[in-house]
Formats: sequence, structure tokens, C-alpha cells
Amino acid sequence: MDIKKLISKISKVYSMDIKISEEVANLLKDNGLKAEEMEKVIKDAEESGKKLESKDGSKCLAKAEDDNLTCYALYSASNGGFSLDSGYAHKMKMVGPTGGEFNVEAADEADWICKKCNENAIEANVDMTYLGVTRPGNAIVCPKCGDMYLGEDMVPTIKGAEGILEEKRG
Amino acid sequence: MEQIEKISSLCPECLRNISGVKYASDDGKVYIDKECEDHGVFTTLISKDVNHYHQMENFFEVDRASPKNHLGVTEKGCPLDCGLCPSHKQDTCLAVVEVTDRCDMGCTYCFASSLMDDSKDPDMATIRKMFETVKYYSNDPTCVQISGGEPTLREDLPEIIKMGRDLGLTHIELNTNGVRIAQDQEYFDRIIDAGIDALYLGFDGVSDDVYMKRTGKNLFEVKSEVINKCRTAGIGVVLVPLVANNYNLHEVGNIIKFASNNVPTVRGVHFQPVFLSGRSPADQEAKITILDLLENIEEQTNGQLKVEHFTPALMATAQCGATCMTLVEGEGEFLPLTNIEQGSLNTSTDVASKTKKSIMGRWKGSSKNEDNSEAVGSNKCCGNTPLTTVTVPQESSCCRSTTKSNGWAEFIEMSKNRYLTISTMAFQDVWSYEKGRIENCCIHVVTKDGKFVPFCNYNLSSCNGEYLYRDQITT
Repeated sequence: MDIKKLISKISKVYSMDIKISEEVANLLKDNGLKAEEMEKVIKDAEESGKKLESKDGSKCLAKAEDDNLTCYALYSASNGGFSLDSGYAHKMKMVGPTGGEFNVEAADEADWICKKCNENAIEANVDMTYLGVTRPGNAIVCPKCGDMYLGEDMVPTIKGAEGILEEKRG
Repeated sequence: MEQIEKISSLCPECLRNISGVKYASDDGKVYIDKECEDHGVFTTLISKDVNHYHQMENFFEVDRASPKNHLGVTEKGCPLDCGLCPSHKQDTCLAVVEVTDRCDMGCTYCFASSLMDDSKDPDMATIRKMFETVKYYSNDPTCVQISGGEPTLREDLPEIIKMGRDLGLTHIELNTNGVRIAQDQEYFDRIIDAGIDALYLGFDGVSDDVYMKRTGKNLFEVKSEVINKCRTAGIGVVLVPLVANNYNLHEVGNIIKFASNNVPTVRGVHFQPVFLSGRSPADQEAKITILDLLENIEEQTNGQLKVEHFTPALMATAQCGATCMTLVEGEGEFLPLTNIEQGSLNTSTDVASKTKKSIMGRWKGSSKNEDNSEAVGSNKCCGNTPLTTVTVPQESSCCRSTTKSNGWAEFIEMSKNRYLTISTMAFQDVWSYEKGRIENCCIHVVTKDGKFVPFCNYNLSSCNGEYLYRDQITT
């Protein structure tokens, strides 16, 4: 990438317009997430290309992971900028494929493409661990780079399990 | 030798207040040494592993709420004018109301020294006063265990339970040997109608050999029948084994396995290591420490429930008890949720509030249609498992799995109806007695004259069988 293109890309990212509707803002509040965190997830994803894109190109899913929390932004393009459609997070750590490796042939294809690898993502079980308990959970996985994402439909289950484990501890 | 702390204790001979030292010996065991000027030095083993002792201490971070009321004036100081005295630091989590001294079991060991004699049971007015004492000393919600003797020897037990309900007690459980309940459905129906929440069932083993030793009776069938009746009625049961060396220590694994086959009717197993009080074994050989018990559980469950899965119970001190909360995946297959090696969360919840919540929630009966006992061991998912009243989101990982049939959705489902609490409590006897543990105790016995006495004080007797409290109050 030449320097002009790079500058153009950086300036585009930093001047990025990200819309968050009131409804989504309330959702973030309920999930204990901040708008700035979501904006950073989107900016980082757009900058690095590390994200999932739906097959029809209408939506993107990106994540940011630190020691205690993995945050997800589900967003779409909107008037030259972006609009955040949903945000969620989990405390569990995704460890790796259940059983040691992904069975790509047996797996269902997901509705997502790993943008970085330009590869069809699959639905697969990954081991997720929290407070000493490890179980398989369904995730969206790129079979090439191994990136693992939690789909929004799994959030109630995972958050429910986190709550049960926290209650039993201490 | 490493000194852990100085303690205040009692002479096992004369019950005089004496001081002592808790220490770790060079071989890594924890002992209490104490000396009475008339009766000499007494040494008691507390834990056989100082590292485990410290691990429990380090995990135990709790807040405390004071009792709602104290006795106004005291003269002699703890533990001699108990009731609760102003030095008591901890609110009640469970109040024990003894409605009779009589018992039909005649056990060789009984800390209450109960017999089938003609001693006088408290009348309804006295029991009303005892229930009111609970309301006076302890903050809401109030949890009461009706105990004895054997409470089911009273014909008016249903009326007693109903009176407790009418007085607004939040949770009422019944401590019983189960004999009458197994035999008398009409009586059990009346107890249920009166509003009992759970049974606390004496359950020393899964073989008649054990029951023969302590009672001279074959009782395993009786115990099983009680559980069947409770399953039908939707009443939760906690199995309560007394545990001792040369008695039933070899059966603890099978007791847990039996419990796992009977979730959710059986909510927990609460092991009570023998303590030398009342009518008790003559020597120290019978005694086991918490760690002895946990090691036996680990060995007898083939390592599924390990020592490290037990964290300090939310009781007076880290040494008073240990608890493991586990899910039951199948027959004798466990998924323990607690682990001491993870360290504690620094919670700001008071000991009593949290323990009461646990008593009311986990140990409460299941609704009839929630009971999937027969399904234990089937380990199926999706449509094959009878669904509970609350359904799990259908996007669950188990339903979409291509590689493995269990996941977090199944985990949530298990937590609703395949949940088992394995706990133990090390009651103090005159040998292991520490005033510091008593002052923080949250299990209180109600006396007929309207006092509240910590359980270990109430049942404490000298090595000659002289009670500190029980005889004075009940005779």
C-alpha cells in the first residue's frame, strides 16, 4: 500500500462517523458497555480488516478482547459512515476447538465470511472456560485463521451460565 | 512449631475458662494445646495439614451483620451466660427449635442424649414463645429448623408448623429420622399441608450394616421410602450423615452417589463429623477432621470431587465447615462449581444473608413437574430430556452441536434441576472449643425460656457428660 493510500485510509478511519441509535445506546447500557468502546472496536476492525462480514455484505461483526472481557460490535455501513446495530460481551475465554481441531467438513457453513482471509466461516463448538469450568459453546469460526466469534443468539445462554458460576463462587 | 494464634477455650474436665494455643507442629499438623491448672494439659488435632488450614483461612473473606437484639446484661462473659450476649458478633442463619426431648431411635451416639422417656415436651404456648424469640433476635428472613429429639413423635407437629407459618417465619425445615414419615402417609400429608419447606433427614449410609451399628435397626429402606414420598410431594431433602471412623467413613462416596441419583428431590448432603458430646463414643478414635472427610470423598468418588473443590462454608470461621456445589451430569458423574484454588470473590454480602438464601433456595422443595430424578443418568439433550418449567433458549450449543452433545445450555439446565450441595460442618466439642468461633456462630438454638444459644455452646458437655446448657434448660 503506498503512503497516499495509507494516509487516506487512516484519515477515513479517524474521521469515521459512527451512529448509535437511542435503542442501541440503551442496549449498551444494559450490557454494561460504553459507546466509546464500541467505536474503538469498529475503528480497529475497519483499520485491520479483522472482522466477519455477512455474506450479503450488509453487516459486520468485530470484537476486542482483553483479559476479562470480550466485546462485540455488530454494525453496518450507513451514509458513508457506520451504524452500530448491537453490542454485547462475554467474560468467558474461548480456548480453542472442542476436541482439539475443527471438523470443517462436518460443520455447518455460517452466514459470515472472514474478511481478513476471505474465507467462509463455519459454525463450530469451541471450548469456553470461566471460573474453572470448561464447556463447549457454539461459535462462528474462520477455518483458516482460527478466529472465533460468539454469535448474538448465544449471548443469553453464555451470560446465564456466567451468572450461575459467579453466584456459586465466594 | 509455628504458633497460629492464642485462643480462649474450656477445660474438658471442669468447663472452666482456660487459655490455649493453636499451632502447626513440625510435621505440618495443626493442634490446640490448652492447660487447666487442676486437670493438666490437653492436646487436640484440628487439621492434619497446615497448608490446607491456611488455604481455607485465606479464602474466607466475609462481612458480618449483628444480631437484631442482644441480652441486656451479662455477668460471667462468654460462654457462661449465653443468650445472645453483647459479645456475639453474628446474626442468625438458622434457628433450631427443639419441640421434644423424646426419640424412638436409641442411637449409641446422640449429642442430644435423647431417650424415649417421659420428659415433658414444651406446650404450644412455649413453642409460640420460642418462635417469637427467633423473630426477636434474628433479622428477616427467618429460617427455622424444627428439631428434637424426634419431632414426629408429637401428634401436634402439623399445628406447630402451621403456627410458625402464621407467625411469619420465612423458612421451616424438619429434622427427622424419617421413620414416622415412611410409615404414616396421612401424618406426612398433614405436615405438608401445614407448610413444611424441606426435610433434614438423618442418613448415615446406604447399607443396613451402618444403621444396625448405631441403632440396632435396618433403616435403609425407611430412608429410601421417605425420599420417594418427598419426591411425590415435591419436598426437598437434605441427607444428614453423622460421620465417624470405624462407623461409616467408608460409605461417604456411596452416600454422595445415592444423592446424585436422587436430585433434585435430594438437594444436598450435609456431613456431620462426630463430636464428643452427649451420648458419644468413648474415645477420640472416632473423630475425624474436615480434611479427613474431604480426602475420603475424593478417594471414594474416584477423584471427581476433590479436596480443592470444597471452599469454606459461610459460617462462623473458615474452620467451621466446607462446601462443594456441584452439578450432577449422570450417575456419580459430577461437574463441581466451587474451587478453593481460584480464590474468593470479595463479596460484600453478610454471612447470614447469604447462607439463609442458600437454605431457602437450594434446599427448598422442587415442584412436582420439575423433578427429573428418573432421567438422571440418561444424559440426553434437546427433545429427549424432559424440559423443566423454564425452557432454555433453543439456539443452545447442544442443539446445534456437530461434535459434542453438551454445552452451556445444558449446563444451565443442569443448574436448575441437577444441583447438589455437599457440605460438612465441624461442630465443636469441649476438646476443640474456641471462644472466637462461638462468638461468630450463626446457628442458634432457641431455649424454652426465650434465649438464643449458639449450637456448639448448647450441646457442649464436659468429658464427664455434664452439659454447659442443655441439661440446665431442658430439665
